[in-house]
Amino acid sequence: MKSPRNLQRLGALALSLALGWWLWQGVTISPFQGITGPAARYIHGTARDTGAANVVAAILFDYRGFDTLGEASVIYTTVCGVALLFAKRRYRRSSHGLSFIVKRSMALLVPFILLYASSIIVMGHLSPGGGFQGGSVMATVTILFCVIYGSSFEAARVSPKVKETIESSGALLFVLIGLVGLVTGGAFLTNIAAGFPRGTMGQLFSGGTIPLLNIAVGMKVGAGLSTLFYSMVKILEDPTESSPPEV
Amino acid sequence: MLPISYGTAIIVFCIGLYTILSKRNLFKTVIGLSLMEGGVLMLITSSGYVPGGVPALLPFAGGEPVNPLPHSFTLTAIVIGAADVALALAFIIKIHRRYGTVDIDKIRGLRG
Repeated sequence: MKSPRNLQRLGALALSLALGWWLWQGVTISPFQGITGPAARYIHGTARDTGAANVVAAILFDYRGFDTLGEASVIYTTVCGVALLFAKRRYRRSSHGLSFIVKRSMALLVPFILLYASSIIVMGHLSPGGGFQGGSVMATVTILFCVIYGSSFEAARVSPKVKETIESSGALLFVLIGLVGLVTGGAFLTNIAAGFPRGTMGQLFSGGTIPLLNIAVGMKVGAGLSTLFYSMVKILEDPTESSPPEV
Repeated sequence: MLPISYGTAIIVFCIGLYTILSKRNLFKTVIGLSLMEGGVLMLITSSGYVPGGVPALLPFAGGEPVNPLPHSFTLTAIVIGAADVALALAFIIKIHRRYGTVDIDKIRGLRG
């Protein structure tokens, strides 16, 4: 049993090293000749076409907005899949959480985490950040609730139904904003050409649909990730297997 | 500086590959998958490097911006990677419920 195992390990090591050497031989650094192709157009056209200060946000939510809709549906599909896998069993009990000191510290921290998350989402078109990043930070609040207070407390405070509603309404908001473009005679997810105000670059209210789409994606990602974690934790905390430690 | 960045990406990728090939624990396989994904993302991000470039935030203060396109692609890939890992972990939890182990060899032994 021991010898084939080591042989396998040696083979894996040799394969990895050979592949790494091969990839390293393929690295060629050509001298920089300026940005060309679509990226050059995005860099020079962002201020005129969208009014957003963050070029990455402009690419994600304006030039390639349809791509982002697909990306958001990937998360939706994952949440559906995990919820489907863990649909049958429901456990009422959960762990009792950590000690009193940790619980109180968490209670003090929650408003600040939420404020940070919303600032990342709302300022997505001005500074690095956006719906995906801010939504993930927002989901950490409910994940910390699960860890520190136990999953039944989390489910009692933020009901799974509410989270599902938030997630679906985020997706719906995204599609509705996209449909406005179709109604005004443009393409799906048309931004400035559909009559959304461009605003002054650098101001909070600028960039047409980009802040709205950021908020929609933030709702979707935040609620989706927190549903994912809760579905897994509720199955892990099976009271029949091991009783949770009393604190 | 750029070769070091590419080299780091390749090393991380190969560590992930070795983890997937040599470990029998399914959770460690998922860790290897995440490492490989991280290596690829490092490679994509460093491909957008511009010598002396500034962040792609308007107005570009003090020079030419870096290429913003790899950044947005990386964001897409991160989201898909997170979804992947979540679904893989869900399946592993299911397997652990069914067989009581996450060792591939033992699971194979159980099912012939």
